[in-house]
Amino acid sequence: MSTRRGFIKSTGALALFAAGIGGVPGFIARAANSNKIIPPYKKNKKLVCIFQRGAMDGLMAVTPFTDEFLKAARPTLFMSAAKGTSNTPLIDLDGRFGLHPSMKSFEPLFREKRLGIVHAVGSPNNTRSHFDAQDYMESGTPFNKGTNTGWLNRAVGLLGHESSSPFQAVSITSSLPKAFYGDNAALAINNLQDFAIQMRGNPMAANMAAKSFEDLYDQTSSSLLNKTGKESFDAVKMLKKADTKNYKPANGAVYPDNQIGNSLKQIAQLIKMDVGLEVAFTECGGWDTHYNQGTETGQFSRNVADLSNAISAFWKDLSAYQDEVTLMTMTEFGRTVKQNGTAGTDHGRGSCLFVLGNDVNGGKVHGNMPILSKENLEDGRDVPVTTDFRSVFSEVADAHLKINDDKVLFPEWDGKKIGVMRG
Amino acid sequence: MKRHLQTIFVLFLLISSVSILSAFSGVEKSGIESKSLKFPYKQAGLTERQATAHLLGRFTYGATPGEIDEVLKIGLEKWFDKQLEANSPNDSLNTALAPYEALTKDNKEIFNTYLDGGQIRKRAMKEGLIPQDSTGRIEYKERKGLVDSFMKANGYKPEGELIRQLVNQKIVRAAYSNNQLQEIMTSFWFNHFNVSLTKNECIRFVPCYERDVIRPNSLGKFGDLLLATAKSPAMLTYLDNFRSVASDNNVNSEAGAKRLRELYAQQLRLNQNGDTGMQYKDIANKIKGFKNSQGLNENYAREIMELHTLGVDGGYTQADVTNAAKVLTGWTIFPMNDEYGGTQVRKMIEKVGEEKLKEQGFVHEGDFMFAVNKHDKTEKVVLGNTFSAKGGMEEGLKLIDMLAHHKSTAHFICKKLAARFVSDNPPASLVDKMAQTFMDKDGDIKKVLLTMVNAPEFWSKQALREKIKSPFELTISTVRALNAKVAQPYQLANWINKMGERIYYYQAPTGFPDRAQYWINSGSLLNRMNFGLALSSKRIPGVTFDLTALNNNHEPESAEAALRVYCKLLMPERNVDETVKRLIPLINDPLIHNKIDAAATKTESTLAPATMMSEDNMMMTTSNTDNKKANEVLREKFNRKKAPDYTITQLQANAGTNTMLSQVTGIIIGSPEFQRR
Repeated sequence: MSTRRGFIKSTGALALFAAGIGGVPGFIARAANSNKIIPPYKKNKKLVCIFQRGAMDGLMAVTPFTDEFLKAARPTLFMSAAKGTSNTPLIDLDGRFGLHPSMKSFEPLFREKRLGIVHAVGSPNNTRSHFDAQDYMESGTPFNKGTNTGWLNRAVGLLGHESSSPFQAVSITSSLPKAFYGDNAALAINNLQDFAIQMRGNPMAANMAAKSFEDLYDQTSSSLLNKTGKESFDAVKMLKKADTKNYKPANGAVYPDNQIGNSLKQIAQLIKMDVGLEVAFTECGGWDTHYNQGTETGQFSRNVADLSNAISAFWKDLSAYQDEVTLMTMTEFGRTVKQNGTAGTDHGRGSCLFVLGNDVNGGKVHGNMPILSKENLEDGRDVPVTTDFRSVFSEVADAHLKINDDKVLFPEWDGKKIGVMRG
Repeated sequence: MKRHLQTIFVLFLLISSVSILSAFSGVEKSGIESKSLKFPYKQAGLTERQATAHLLGRFTYGATPGEIDEVLKIGLEKWFDKQLEANSPNDSLNTALAPYEALTKDNKEIFNTYLDGGQIRKRAMKEGLIPQDSTGRIEYKERKGLVDSFMKANGYKPEGELIRQLVNQKIVRAAYSNNQLQEIMTSFWFNHFNVSLTKNECIRFVPCYERDVIRPNSLGKFGDLLLATAKSPAMLTYLDNFRSVASDNNVNSEAGAKRLRELYAQQLRLNQNGDTGMQYKDIANKIKGFKNSQGLNENYAREIMELHTLGVDGGYTQADVTNAAKVLTGWTIFPMNDEYGGTQVRKMIEKVGEEKLKEQGFVHEGDFMFAVNKHDKTEKVVLGNTFSAKGGMEEGLKLIDMLAHHKSTAHFICKKLAARFVSDNPPASLVDKMAQTFMDKDGDIKKVLLTMVNAPEFWSKQALREKIKSPFELTISTVRALNAKVAQPYQLANWINKMGERIYYYQAPTGFPDRAQYWINSGSLLNRMNFGLALSSKRIPGVTFDLTALNNNHEPESAEAALRVYCKLLMPERNVDETVKRLIPLINDPLIHNKIDAAATKTESTLAPATMMSEDNMMMTTSNTDNKKANEVLREKFNRKKAPDYTITQLQANAGTNTMLSQVTGIIIGSPEFQRR
């Protein structure tokens, strides 16, 4: 920890106050400025996680379309892969599973074997409360409510090297997600362009205010304010050098203009800025489709289009960085096999998730999805969870980030893996 | 003076004990009322002034200048009593709210006045004003003109206007109401029984929800509040219960599903034969009807237990959820007009007659309707209680009463109240005491709050300054501390949003978490600091204040003096020595700083436009929440004049007291100490 702070104090701090504000002698500032510092973290791997809040209907995203029980349980929501039944049938992935047509941008990634899908995945805790289930998935301890650290924060602690960057763990959200709670520094940034002390037309006053705030947050007795203040100012100093406003995605990538598109764009920006990002997080909502879920079009269709188009643009944008990046989606649970009385679905259990990367064992639907006859369902109504989310999360984190202490990452868990990553 | 106060206090003791006794005849002697009438702050080592500051920090949106002295004059206990009664006159607030015409309308009027773009177009088409078939082809300008005059002729207004008034009134009330606790409790319960503008169907019901359902019950009995929310159009739409009906003739049922499969098969046969005549259309319509037929929806049943009453660990199962959903089938909205099946209901009432319907178990109370024909008439068991077959609305009433008085509910609600008023992790001893009162006093919210404020835990060192202000609280406490006038409340709403609290837009039924860790993160913290700087340098349009007036028109002689004086003014009864000590070296000599930094400023200012966000951008930072509608509202509603660009020379010319004072004030507002309450 002290090493990290030490580095910051000797680089970023000087860069910000190079003009002499705050009592830094000018010659030191000039010396620091002339010394171009080569960031040591260029080759680090990056894990990007997307939380789909509200519980995605995995059965509609990736439909086991040959299952007659599913067809019967969803008289108006079931979609077919057969050509001619609809203008946009499901995309037949392997003769059994069909991808929702609005996720067509995923098809090439799947065929290139970079995109893997895990089905009937979820939590061993059978709560159907969004809020508990999200908390459990983020803490990584599905039977312990008292855990006050998140699994991604623990992952940061297990990377095996001291971070020299405040941007090691960044969440593009308006508040810090529980997955990032913990001892290791993590940033929440809603919008990179906002990330500075600003006084319109008066940068001098802004700098002075920044220095004042930094001093005040340094002395406060509230540890939360103190810690967050430090992290913020460290990051502000590094970001100051970057042009965050005029970002041009590479390779003709076009991000959809919505929340998830903007978030992934900013993560791509941070990756390309080489600011030491290793774990990134963002989220998207709207998955709680109790009413009028829709099929080829409608609510669900729009959501999966937004998500898949944003991810595909992200991947295209990062074509030069693809070896370094793995992306994984997650959702707190799935939805009922049977549609409900209002053309939607209620809270269920197993859902599916997507993993994208060059070291992913892609082009496959992993996991074990049983035939959805009533006796196979959990509590007689839901897709049973046949793959524990921890087996996927830990495999991805272990393989991509080279973490090898699963006991810390996911305490009280046996460590079974399912082969979603190669090698 | 002291003696005088004591006399008043003794009188108050007498009066309040008499009134308490008369209000609760036959109440046991060990009740909180007779045990402790003086708040136990002395035992915690607090002076009366410190105690008052703490009290104001918790039960108001922040002390106004001189408010501590006012409370001392009345006495802490009496002041609290008055806040519980919540009947102080509010003339100036009412004047400030007078221009908001939506606030006096009922659900039906609002529903038929404020329409979104789609609804307006639909109505205009129906009346033939916009051609049905070529809507896309008409020139935008022409169509807009048609729509505008159509709206004017019918008295329609854009839904965005309603939202703006709703947001504005919350800010105005919080800043200026004399019944501060009532506003805080309204906000607390709204958040507890959250509904959201992110759900289209419930938008137009939200203003009346807050005004008629939440506020009048905010200091009443919990059971009344729970029932009122259950029957409100806002909750019924937000959590889907209004369309949850018994599912025997629905695609969800086996018979229904079979019938639908048959229809599909027929359709396919006709399709293959190329027969798309009348018969085909008939079948297509039948299928459509089936798709629209409704059934059970568990959403509300789950949340009423998980979030509104028992808590997630309150001891219920999935079967309880499903059965509770059945109990609540038929709880729906009385149609607001002829849309959405309203015609059918109206015709049914005309045909059968309200009296006849009543005999059959149909209930119509204001906006609420119990549709007995949609109610599940099977036997259900919820939490071990059997609801026998063929019941009606009384089942739901029984369920709600049961939930309101459940032990888990008492504990869950009291813990949440303690987290709001004491600390993020309130001591179990305190929660237990409050829960006991909740059980003993039939969920009387006033009594629960009295138990809390009479407990030593409320005044303990662990509780003082322990709560971090939410962005809304930070903003309003700033307005109150500066005695500021707010002519454009939405400007503040934009900042509140930027700091992480988009009021009325929290999507999930949990409401905003009441926890420092939720509010404080690197991004939001920088925005809090930027808010302080923007407000103090008067870059937030429509917010005006007079800093020197706060100090009785004395201008501080130096930056150091300003710092000391304004720290005391804005954060009364806080120890600000460390804040002052840290800042003095920095601000002591602003003029010298100006000179030192002149060169740097010039080079930096060329970078400024790229790195700094324009105010217009600030207005639009909702971009990350992709609610285009709200953005449109913002865009439409604010013909803001651009704040002037400060040039360096202007700044140097103004580098006197004003700039210095506002800079100091901005730093105080953004300081860690001011984030705490």
